[in-house]
Amino acid sequence: MKVPMKWLKEYVDIHMTAEEYASRMVMTGTGVEGVDKTGAQFDNVVVGYVVSCVDHPNSDHLHLCMVDVGQAEPIQIVCGAPNVHAGMRVAAALDGAHLPGGKIKKSKMRGEVSCGMLCSGPELDVPAGLYPNIGDAGIIEIFEDVKPGTDVKEVFGLGDDIVDFEILANRPDCLSVWGLARESSAVLEEHFVMPEIAVEETGAGTFDDYAKVQVLDDETCPRYCARVITDVKIGPSPKWMREYLYGAGVRPINNIVDITNFVMLETGHPMHAFDLSKVKDQTIVVRRAHPGEHLTTLDGKEHVLDESMLVIADKQNATGLAGIMGGEESEIVEDTSSVLFECAAFERANNRVTARKLGIRTESSGRFEKGVCADTAMEALERACMLVNMLECGRVVPGAFDHYPNPKPPVEIDAEVGRICRRIGVDVPGEVMEDILNRLYIDTTLVDGKLLHCEVPAFRQDMETDADVSEEVLRMYGYDHIPSTLMNGVTMAGRRNAHTAFSDRVKAALVGMGLYEVLNYSFISPRWIDSLGLASDDARRNAVVLRNPLGEDTSVMRTSLVPSMLNTVAANLNRGNADGMLFELSKVFAPTGVAGELPEERLSLCVGAFGEGVDFYTVKNIVVWLLAKFGVAAQIEAAGDAYYHPGRKAEMRADGVKLAALGEIHPDVAERFDIKGRVYVAEVDLDALMPLEKDFYGIKPLPKFPSVSRDIAVVVDENVGAGTMMDAIRKAAAKTLEDVKLFDIYRGDKLGKGKKSVAYAITLRAPDRTLTDEEINATMDKVLKALGEFGAELRA
Amino acid sequence: MEKMLREIRERVLNNIEEARATSALEQIRVGVLGKKGELTALLRGMGKLPPEERPKMGQLVNDVRAALEDRLEARAKELAEREKAARLAAEAIDVTLPGPARSAGSLHPMNIALSKMVEIFVGMGYEVVEGPEVEYDHYNFELLNLPKNHPARDAQDTFYVDDNIVLRTHTSPVQARIMTTRKPPIRVICPGRVYRADEADATHSPVFHQMEGLVIDENITMGDLKGTLDEFARQMYGEGIRTRFRPSFFPFTEPSAEVDLTCANCKGEGCRMCKGTGWIEVLGAGMVNPKVLEMCGIDSKKYSGFAFGMGVERIALLKYNIPNLRYLYENDLRFLTQYR
Repeated sequence: MKVPMKWLKEYVDIHMTAEEYASRMVMTGTGVEGVDKTGAQFDNVVVGYVVSCVDHPNSDHLHLCMVDVGQAEPIQIVCGAPNVHAGMRVAAALDGAHLPGGKIKKSKMRGEVSCGMLCSGPELDVPAGLYPNIGDAGIIEIFEDVKPGTDVKEVFGLGDDIVDFEILANRPDCLSVWGLARESSAVLEEHFVMPEIAVEETGAGTFDDYAKVQVLDDETCPRYCARVITDVKIGPSPKWMREYLYGAGVRPINNIVDITNFVMLETGHPMHAFDLSKVKDQTIVVRRAHPGEHLTTLDGKEHVLDESMLVIADKQNATGLAGIMGGEESEIVEDTSSVLFECAAFERANNRVTARKLGIRTESSGRFEKGVCADTAMEALERACMLVNMLECGRVVPGAFDHYPNPKPPVEIDAEVGRICRRIGVDVPGEVMEDILNRLYIDTTLVDGKLLHCEVPAFRQDMETDADVSEEVLRMYGYDHIPSTLMNGVTMAGRRNAHTAFSDRVKAALVGMGLYEVLNYSFISPRWIDSLGLASDDARRNAVVLRNPLGEDTSVMRTSLVPSMLNTVAANLNRGNADGMLFELSKVFAPTGVAGELPEERLSLCVGAFGEGVDFYTVKNIVVWLLAKFGVAAQIEAAGDAYYHPGRKAEMRADGVKLAALGEIHPDVAERFDIKGRVYVAEVDLDALMPLEKDFYGIKPLPKFPSVSRDIAVVVDENVGAGTMMDAIRKAAAKTLEDVKLFDIYRGDKLGKGKKSVAYAITLRAPDRTLTDEEINATMDKVLKALGEFGAELRA
Repeated sequence: MEKMLREIRERVLNNIEEARATSALEQIRVGVLGKKGELTALLRGMGKLPPEERPKMGQLVNDVRAALEDRLEARAKELAEREKAARLAAEAIDVTLPGPARSAGSLHPMNIALSKMVEIFVGMGYEVVEGPEVEYDHYNFELLNLPKNHPARDAQDTFYVDDNIVLRTHTSPVQARIMTTRKPPIRVICPGRVYRADEADATHSPVFHQMEGLVIDENITMGDLKGTLDEFARQMYGEGIRTRFRPSFFPFTEPSAEVDLTCANCKGEGCRMCKGTGWIEVLGAGMVNPKVLEMCGIDSKKYSGFAFGMGVERIALLKYNIPNLRYLYENDLRFLTQYR
């Protein structure tokens, strides 16, 4: 909320610069975004008096003006505005002036010297309404008799410091000049002086003679106050009011509208002004909308309402959305002659829901959402009437309408001094607390030096418990008094939980293998899942869908990390990073299918490798090593999803549990992700791996007896897996096998087409004896027999 | 015969001196001492000598043999040394030549920062706990004193799955889950992914990470919160880094504070990074609101506690001078490979 310092200073003395003031407020909990000055968008623009004005000799529309700008001699300025004439006071930008559109420089225009520029409103970026004829065509004419050379900021009421406050959600009372002045008075230990409110009721008759108000819903409209003004004379509001409104970021319009805005800013109460003559039957009904009821708001938009929404209506039809936006019919216009001022309190949640449903957000709705104090509504309305008196723009009719059936009982809090001190960790004497709270207008008495009895004023709707009291005390006493201590009490055993520790070990292993970790968003585009070409009934097509995504590309929660990895690879290739090994470790989400249940979240790992020097076996080794690191030996088989290369994909299982899938990405899929070249991917289900991790209990003793080595070479069909045979050897020789290595694969004409020779080196050893030839031969026979199952024959 | 012996001795010694390779020495040895060697032949010819001369001649031959063997051995050693030196010299390589390319590998900088943060708090006795990323509104908001239609919810633009399920907007729901299931004393940190409906820019990301801390015990004070965060600041950014607490508002803490750290860039002198203030806003914290304790079934008369929450990306950005949050989610290897 932007507040001119001058406006604040009407109600509280502030003896310091705006910057110093801002920092005091920040350190006591009132946020400040920044301090600016009004009119900072231009400088070096002064009042000029046009001494003479003649046509430019070389132009059919330019004028040569001699302008008195308060210097020894008038200066020549070339001006093209049709309304320029001798004897006029103007806003003259001098040589070197900065304007929103750029810097003004002395120059020649069609052969004539121009020492500046005569300005229009848009050229200075000042709004129509700030000064009487800004916004009319042409340059600004200054009507007042001001000495040439005077800074125009003085004339327009610019140059004041504007503090841009950032009010916290719990302090809606500070969304007002009075609220901030009150808060400032507590912070600065100065007095807050509110104007005495006295309304002169000079109108004829009483309120009831002019209008009838019916409030039919106390729950959503706890209070409704109204006043009638007759003999209204619409015109511009006085300069001081325009200046304050402009400083607060509100465009001045006319006296009646300006009064409602002024009061809203000053008191925090949104107000509405109705042109009473346009209100049908001069009757205002506050009620819930009828289902399907139509309404056109001030901005010309038509809305269809439902029965939860609170409306302002005449006897038949809704004419405005309560607290959000008024209707078109009763808008204040030039010839408005009687006005009904509304100042009400509408319930915040209902207001918020309605505004959200209809997609409208106004200053007024924003304030009602945050909470407007019902208790002070009448006071705000009286302030508005007082301003009508002051501006002499109408007659206030005696009597008011006030519907406030259930005033909120005042909140009282008893807070123990000792408990507050323990909470904040600072020993603040009870008397100091009492003083602080009273400064904040929380009527407080210290009982027996131990207990604070606090009566909370109505505007402090946020104060409910002694915790709130402790915050008030501490922020005023100063957060810099908080000592730096470490807690007493029981010692706690700190640790990573098993899941975090496990995923940290996985990451460390992968980093050790030279992989780089990447992070991708958890939500992706459903199109990316399509691009994988999954079967229509694949579970991964069933994703958690966001109701309000930022865009289609981020609209469903990942069921697989593969699409993000492929996009990451594509992006890197695109940027000229020719090779890389990457991994991402993140959750994937699977809906359970039961409404209202959270989806299943599984920790998944995805490896991506591309570029020179990587192939299928690179990612296979990464997975095998990773599993080995966790003591898990898995069986590999040629199988996998269709997004992998049909001849270069594999799945790994341990104890029947699928742990990993890996392979080269199918060229069609790679193309859909804009990847040229081969890319290899591995997926590991870490939640499946974690329970299989074998704890490391101890080592095997080193062997005492000699080992024997035997090499065998067998000829098999090409399609028999060399690794599969290796597994068979391990099984067959299990009792005495120490190691088996594949050392040669040979293909040649001698073997015949579709055949290969595979050679293994087998090492056998027994822990408790030297193996005999008989034992060794028996084992080798078993091995050969096992290999025979694959059709393997001993190579001649 | 003696003359012959002398001649052999002189000639062979000379040959030995002239030999340039161990292989030449071997030839010499064979020529003199081998089965068919000159000396061997002489010894064999001894039988023809009169018996009384034999011992003397035998002695003489053996003396020559011993002298030659000694010299051969010495010379062999010499030559072997020389040959080894020559071989080693020939084996010299260009040690400045780079080895085969090998990828160094690294954690993502966000996780480097997070690991460090976790380590600091584990060292102070905190236990790491986790919770779901897709979360009930009940835990994400309601138990944290943010009822439906509370305006403070606006500060956290929320992704919804349905009316009651959201993508968690902070890691605080894990606190709520812990408070409803455990008894004090509680001392936990909850790191993890969180989601806000913000368009990505230099300082925002719709997906980011937070680390939340929660302590509940008897007699926990706001001073303990400050002490804890001071210790964190020192360990994370170095000695001389302090915290500054500013009053703030969060529905789940009371009193609440925005916590600034000394700008690590200028050590508090004031620079462009901290807009001349010497302080950088880093995290939010406060004393757990007694209302929240009660909602979670903890006796607020007996127990008090503090909570803090920080954006891990923000911590990483400050720690590693990363100019733009977008870098963290672009996964460009030219950026990632700068980390170790």
